Amino acid sequence: MTVFQAIGTAGSGVTVYRKWLDAVSDNIANLNTVRATSQSAYQAEQVIATPMADGTGVQVGGTRLGSAVGRLVYEPGHALADARGYVRYPEIDLGEQMGELIMAQRGYQANLSVVDRAREAYQSALQLGRGA
Amino acid sequence: MSAVAALGAVSGVIAPSPVSTALSPGVSASGGADFANVLGQGLANLQDTQTHADQLGVQAATGDLTDVHDFMIASTQAQLATDLTVTLRNKALESFNEIMRMQA
Repeated sequence: MTVFQAIGTAGSGVTVYRKWLDAVSDNIANLNTVRATSQSAYQAEQVIATPMADGTGVQVGGTRLGSAVGRLVYEPGHALADARGYVRYPEIDLGEQMGELIMAQRGYQANLSVVDRAREAYQSALQLGRGA
Repeated sequence: MSAVAALGAVSGVIAPSPVSTALSPGVSASGGADFANVLGQGLANLQDTQTHADQLGVQAATGDLTDVHDFMIASTQAQLATDLTVTLRNKALESFNEIMRMQA
């Protein structure tokens, strides 16, 4: 526990949401990353948030990877297509990722609002000492 | 923890205490030394906070900063800690001046 703990706690939340945003942007960027059927597909990243042990915020506990099987798509003209004409696409739903993007963005903003309000509150407390 | 303890210690020094305890041997003298320690610790904490914000500021300038908000939060905390320390010092000085004015 430090002096202005609420700010640090909200800050840990901002960091987690920033990492979630990173994961979502990575997933969307690799939406059409095609692999040959002999390789595993690009695996979607999912950030796992865990609370801090001492109750001072949240942290990223780990990353869960999505399906390595992906989905097989028939594209015989593709450079990576196998003998039967199939390639492997990652199993990522763009709609789902967009939903997560909104949640991550709003969570980021919410935590920054907490930082702002906590700062205002602490400054009000410091005003007590400024009175004549 | 330290700031709350500091506030408690300050009010302990400033608040008028019963004559019997104030005059008991060693209490008044050690009370003055305690406030100096408290202020010293507060300044050391402030120094740590400022150093952290400075490091992040250098990282921001050199492009090594991974989280933009980390720097902003550190500078906010440094500003608040400075405000707190300055307010404490002003209040203590005010009390001291009030006591010195008794001689006039």
